[in-house]
Amino acid sequence: MSDEPARILMAKTSLDGHWRGVTIVERALREAHFEVIALGMATAEEIVRAAVDEEVDLVGLNLGGRSAVVERIVAELRAQGSDVPVMVGGVITPQTKKRLESSGIAVFPPGSSLEDIVATARRLCEHSAEMKQEAQ
Amino acid sequence: MSGIEEGTSLDGEPGNAGRREGASRTTAPAYTTSSGIPLSAHYGPGDVPDDHWLKVTAPPGQAPFTRGAYPEMYRSKPWRIFQLSGFGNPEDERERIRFLLEHGETGFLMEHDRMTADHLYDVDHPEVVARRDDVGLTGAVILSVDDYETVLDGIDIASTYAHAGGAVVQHAPFANACYWTVARRRGIDLRRLAGTGQSDFNLTYLGCINKVQVPPRDGLRFNLDLIEHCTRYLPKWVPVSIAAYNAADTGLNAFEELGALMANAAEYLDGIRQRSKLEVADVAHGVGGVNLRTSMDFFEDIAKLRAARSMWERLLRERYGVTDERARRLRIHVVTAGSAMTYSQPLNNIARGTLMGLAAVLGGAQSLGVSGYDEAITIPSEHAHQMSVRIQQILAHEANLTAVADPLGGSWLVESLTAQLEERAWEFFELIQREGGYVATLDSGWLHQRASAGASLAMDQVENGDRILVGVNAYQDDVSPFEVEGFEGTTDAWDRAMTRLAALRRERDSRAAASALRTLEGACRSEVNIMGPMLDAVEARVTVGEIGDVFRTVFGNWDVPIVF
Ligand code: B12
Repeated sequence: MSDEPARILMAKTSLDGHWRGVTIVERALREAHFEVIALGMATAEEIVRAAVDEEVDLVGLNLGGRSAVVERIVAELRAQGSDVPVMVGGVITPQTKKRLESSGIAVFPPGSSLEDIVATARRLCEHSAEMKQEAQ
Repeated sequence: MSGIEEGTSLDGEPGNAGRREGASRTTAPAYTTSSGIPLSAHYGPGDVPDDHWLKVTAPPGQAPFTRGAYPEMYRSKPWRIFQLSGFGNPEDERERIRFLLEHGETGFLMEHDRMTADHLYDVDHPEVVARRDDVGLTGAVILSVDDYETVLDGIDIASTYAHAGGAVVQHAPFANACYWTVARRRGIDLRRLAGTGQSDFNLTYLGCINKVQVPPRDGLRFNLDLIEHCTRYLPKWVPVSIAAYNAADTGLNAFEELGALMANAAEYLDGIRQRSKLEVADVAHGVGGVNLRTSMDFFEDIAKLRAARSMWERLLRERYGVTDERARRLRIHVVTAGSAMTYSQPLNNIARGTLMGLAAVLGGAQSLGVSGYDEAITIPSEHAHQMSVRIQQILAHEANLTAVADPLGGSWLVESLTAQLEERAWEFFELIQREGGYVATLDSGWLHQRASAGASLAMDQVENGDRILVGVNAYQDDVSPFEVEGFEGTTDAWDRAMTRLAALRRERDSRAAASALRTLEGACRSEVNIMGPMLDAVEARVTVGEIGDVFRTVFGNWDVPIVF
């Protein structure tokens, strides 16, 4: 792996403006030496474009609205040839958590520990880096 | 539900669930309140400053009101049971409000859609279309006064106190005007109409920041317009209700919450003094209905409510020379901390809601909303809503809590905390003044940084195990997992609103609507109070998005001081 810090794109999918949780996660990731790009409230299209343009290693989504947008974003990323992993947090019902996890998305509802979030981010970014190397 | 499965890995392997079980403290327990006031093992008369004793010789209902707003408190004025409610289509919101009123709610609170109401967008705006499944998730979609008619149909607004929606500052003028228009059409004398639209700076510019909205200086002008208009024409309406709750649940601690509340009020009252023909004494009653948070620091929260009343009385007396004692009385709505409600083991939240509600009652609240046990999962289900009402009814009727006003008055601990909070809160107030005043601290991001520091501290304490959260960082086992599915609301709110919008545009007198919007724009560009032209525009059936277009053209967009 290179010494460059892994890059994570963080975004909010809804127009709900809650910033407390998402900034706490961003702070924890920065303290763990990730480079964090904070996109704020963005549409699915904008998130996909930023993820592809910035060639990030991981996409983090804060959900404040309904969750179908997550699968839309993942599908569009894959359609554009990106394998970037996705993790989500925020307002998530237990059923939604199960659904997203069953399609391989890491889910962190309220009450999740930052240590766990950082550990998962690390693992997902390493995975991402390996995939990139394989592709080269 | 089995609690949070921590560290569940991508391939579905169980992670290190329960690792935080019995999380050990990193430091020896520090006995302080949650805002950091040191706590002794016991309290005595020497812990209460003399000047504070003097203050609390005044009984409840007398200045400085530390001991209560009214002499007999709940004997003569039961607190109002008042829960946030609303989602989906106007009909959905109406049904939920009726449900709550039938179950014993004694006021009602309208929640409007974040995308359309808060942002002043019509449903066909690209930002909304891109998020169409979110429309109506946390509040009803209200496009015009017609939709207000639908929500309020069959609800007795002449005698029920309402929060009319319009918590967000740029939305408030429209929301208030719609509600008043429905009342006027029903033949209700507006001079007797009671309620509020809130119009809260803490929500709008600190807590939940819109993507697009008018800058705070222009928002301030809206609120001053509302205060003037209501003082003249709707004396029973609370024109703006400062929601310190929103600042607290964003991260301000107890004395910061109080200091920010007073600084916010000072900004409004200074504004009135500078620009208006009205006296501060005339508007004081209208501005003196606020909200505060109770959370999970029982005695500090009780003390906070007592300190708030005393500070308010002093602010109006010393800073504004208000001589009428009644005009210096603060009325408090309490919202229990949503952030204290956990995702795991959600039934535990019923105990938390009860404790926080009890603190509100012992602190002398005039109205109360208890957050639902499903708060961390979705907006409240009918059952969670009903439980919030039931908790309040149990507090009101079963535990003999209401016979005596200020039952903790004279407690050495509570009096000591009240005095200390007040002192620290005035210091925070002064700090804000030195930063240029409340609005300046929003423009610069100073207040956001304070809130952010408080929120981080709270997170770190749970993460370290310095603070135990049952079911979260300790006692995660749940022998009989109780599944709370969460309330999903309706999914047709966007589609149906698109149909309503098309019909409205077709049917209404479009020239009248356009001309009303031009007049409103003219008022916005001048110093004319916008509420008159806003009422005319509402009558001409303009839409929420058209109002937004006017505001965006005239005032532009706020340059948000924080990145997230
Ligand atoms: C605090 C709070 C507020 C504050 C704002 C604070 C802020 N600046 O963010 C205030 C009081 C202003 C507020 C207002 C409102 N709120 Co609010 N609020 C909350 C509350 C109580 C706590 C959220 C919080 O900050 N928790 C602390 C942080 C640290 O936790 P967190 O955000 O969950 O983040 C954690 C995880 O989710 C995860 N995580 C989060 N993001 C991400 C991203 C990634 C990539 C990862 C890996 C992890 C991750 O990690 C964090 C650490 O564990 C929640 C309910 C709850 N208990 O969760 C409601 C809640 C989010 N609010 C809600 C609503 C509806 C509103 C209001 C409309 C009014 C209302 N009805 O309560 C207004 C919004 C107005 C607007 N214009 O948008 C709803 C949203 C419902 C929905 N989307 O379905 C909730 C769920 C409450 C409810 N049940 O109704 N709110």
